[in-house]
Amino acid sequence: MSHNPTVDDANQCMKCGFCMYNCPIYKVDHIESHVARGRNMLIRQASDKNLPADSDYAERLSYCLLCGRCAAICPAKVPSPDINVAARTNLVTQKGLSLPKKSIYRGILQNRNLMAQLLGVAAWVPGISVKDGKPLRHMADFTSVFTKGLALPRLSRPFLSTRLPLRTLPPEGVKTKGRVAFFPGCAFEFFFADIGAGIAQVLAKAGYVVIYPKDLTCCGLAVRSAGDLHTAQLMAKHNIEKLASFDRIITGCATCGSALKDYGNWFSADDPWQSRAQSLSAKVYDFSEFLAKEGFKSQVDEPLTVTYHDPCHLKWHQGVSNQPRELLRSIEGVHFVEMEGADDCCGLGGAFSIAHRDISLAIQNKKMQSIIKTGAQVVVTSCPGCLIQLKDGVRRNKLPVEVMHISQLMRGKQ
Amino acid sequence: MDLGRCNIALSKSILEKLREITGEKGLLTSPVDLASYSFDGTTSWQSLPEAVVFPTTTEQVSQILKLATEQRIPVTPRGAGSNLSGGSVPVSGGIVLCTTRMNMIIKIDTDNFTVTTEVGVVLNDLNQELARNNLFFPPDPQSSLAATIGGCVSENAGGPYAVKYGVFKNYLLGLTAVLPSGIILKLGGSTVKNVTGYDLPQIICGSEGTLAVITQVTLRILTLPPAHKTVIAVFDKVVTSGQAVHRVLTEGILPAKIEMMDNWVIRRIEETTPLGLPLEAGSLLLFELDGNPAAVEKEAEGVIKSCQQAGAIEVRSARDNEEAVNFWTARRAGFSAVYGASPTVFAEDVTVPFNRISDLIAKVEEIAKKYNLTIIIIGHAGDGNLHPSVLTDKSNAEHYHRAEQAVNEIFMTALEYGGAISGEHGIGLEKKRFMKQAMQPEAIDILRGIKKVFDPAGILNPGKIWEEK
Repeated sequence: MSHNPTVDDANQCMKCGFCMYNCPIYKVDHIESHVARGRNMLIRQASDKNLPADSDYAERLSYCLLCGRCAAICPAKVPSPDINVAARTNLVTQKGLSLPKKSIYRGILQNRNLMAQLLGVAAWVPGISVKDGKPLRHMADFTSVFTKGLALPRLSRPFLSTRLPLRTLPPEGVKTKGRVAFFPGCAFEFFFADIGAGIAQVLAKAGYVVIYPKDLTCCGLAVRSAGDLHTAQLMAKHNIEKLASFDRIITGCATCGSALKDYGNWFSADDPWQSRAQSLSAKVYDFSEFLAKEGFKSQVDEPLTVTYHDPCHLKWHQGVSNQPRELLRSIEGVHFVEMEGADDCCGLGGAFSIAHRDISLAIQNKKMQSIIKTGAQVVVTSCPGCLIQLKDGVRRNKLPVEVMHISQLMRGKQ
Repeated sequence: MDLGRCNIALSKSILEKLREITGEKGLLTSPVDLASYSFDGTTSWQSLPEAVVFPTTTEQVSQILKLATEQRIPVTPRGAGSNLSGGSVPVSGGIVLCTTRMNMIIKIDTDNFTVTTEVGVVLNDLNQELARNNLFFPPDPQSSLAATIGGCVSENAGGPYAVKYGVFKNYLLGLTAVLPSGIILKLGGSTVKNVTGYDLPQIICGSEGTLAVITQVTLRILTLPPAHKTVIAVFDKVVTSGQAVHRVLTEGILPAKIEMMDNWVIRRIEETTPLGLPLEAGSLLLFELDGNPAAVEKEAEGVIKSCQQAGAIEVRSARDNEEAVNFWTARRAGFSAVYGASPTVFAEDVTVPFNRISDLIAKVEEIAKKYNLTIIIIGHAGDGNLHPSVLTDKSNAEHYHRAEQAVNEIFMTALEYGGAISGEHGIGLEKKRFMKQAMQPEAIDILRGIKKVFDPAGILNPGKIWEEK
């Protein structure tokens, strides 16, 4: 497998329209240029120079969560999300990036130390950060001015890299089975550091020495999705080198996992980095994918009714959906209930949620209704992106539901 | 009047009026958006509209049509645009009237076995909702994941279930439609029997959006059959399988579906979802039997016996539900593979009487040889509706020309055998050049006359079904 999808793959689309049935955006606004079939058609026309690749065109490309549901249902197996990324990449190649995007992608995201420094300063600003689990109030409302109302999580103090030792050892009495590397990703490093630390602890309880390689960088997915392939490749190369010596790499972030497993497609077949990327990808596991094989037993303090939201990057991009459910069902004290449309997107899609706030909220609302119908006390998911969106929805709708990463229910009795 | 060649440029004031009717979010005019409404499910037709409107009520549809008639603006109604006839391609420019936001199921009447729904509801969504009440709506065009009810009624769509359950027109009891003048009509009712004057709902059904814009329909629904069984039969030749279909039907067995796939499709299935089918087999028949459990068992035995008598290499029932589901999934994937098999595919839609199925197959094979083309034979063999699919490439003029000639011969064969040039896709643009062979000139004149009564200004989906004189 060496064929990287290009805009030419849009020609495979036979226009049956099955993608409409699954597309979270089309289901809200029913606009053809916002669904894979219509977008593929636009990409074909732009590629044939029958349509100008102008700002309107670029905007239509942005109406996509890259959730992957269209590709999953497509009878012709058209890789529509990849085609969209390829089209965005062409745009960036032709027109370059806007200055703010350039400084974020090439300056900050690529440079983890700089990111830590900047965010580290920000973390001292009262209200932006959360310390000892007690956030200062109102900051979410303040930042939400810039995010059109989306409540961003507060910065963690301290960040994960200063909380977690280089190696977390299995507790006494637990037989050591082996060694794994933990890839936390930006979200667990900077925003959900307590959850990140918990992931490492659960893996240790399962019998693994958990190594936290200190100088990893961002997985690069956001940068690649925006079309800045060159920067994304630099980030991938950095991570590939840092992780090459490990046999198993575990991530608790569905988005990072999907990127790490897809690194091979970020390089062309004639690039020697492709095979290096592919051998790395083969060693990457999502947290639940890894633990489901381990027969790890856990329990919660009080009986809990729990439902699960499938992150798109886990189910549609990695094919992992049974494992988290198996894990949840195996937790003593957890009563698992399935929600309607559990694998429907939460509507975040990174920058999409801010650029297209109304659609993102409409998708979020459907998810909230599904959650409420289950009567669950806790909604669990496996991606910090979904955590942000679900927490925002719960807060917005004042729902009596707690949003948790799957690892939080597996820490055992506290 | 022929609006088919008009070049209308919508003025700012007209766009403003449309915006007033549907609201800011109900009107699209940017070139990228227009480009995405320039096509449907066919491979050969494309034409740009000048505006796309999304009405949400019958009243809005009425206002849009009234304005369009006053200003002589062509209006092309569109559901999901998944049709295979060019029917929703706006060949005259003007307005695309998209019904996808009229998507409420209004009432499921479990006492009277009817459902009343807005036309933008997706067929599969309707069936999901009906299934919660142990009900179903049988006609099953294979575009059901995309197709809207309005589009299906307008095209009089059907699918594999047609053998036993018929097509859309057999379930249409009543509808609300808007005439181009803006007048809102409520036609038909909610009873199975109704002979009040000319059957106007049936005239609108299958009219491909040329007479009126349907906004609501009342459909007959059935209870879900309690038992299902799938039988698979393998044949050395496509012709033999055609004979087997006829034999099964003459035995008095009425399967819910009889689907046929040729060797090309069998190979694709084995590549993607291996089911252990013999790769050299010429043809595969899939039967679904449904009804009460005892009858289903007996019918399955009958099908197996008939296929054996017709010379099947192998025939058996699906072991369990899982295997049955696998067969039908593979069938769907196999059919889909056809449509993606070459840059241009003529997925034809001819229908012949039951006793001519194997004759038609033999002739199609002959035509493929004559023009040196790949013609895949798939279809709903149980109702005589085959989709001989000619693989070609529009950018290769010589090849494309041969493909067109082959298609012409297939149509002529179907007509010669007493069949029709379209079983379920409609005429639209794709087949209008064959109308003269398929219908007497006087009959086409009646079509024109009916059109004139409904749409005197000729604004509704102009340029479709028949050629201008």
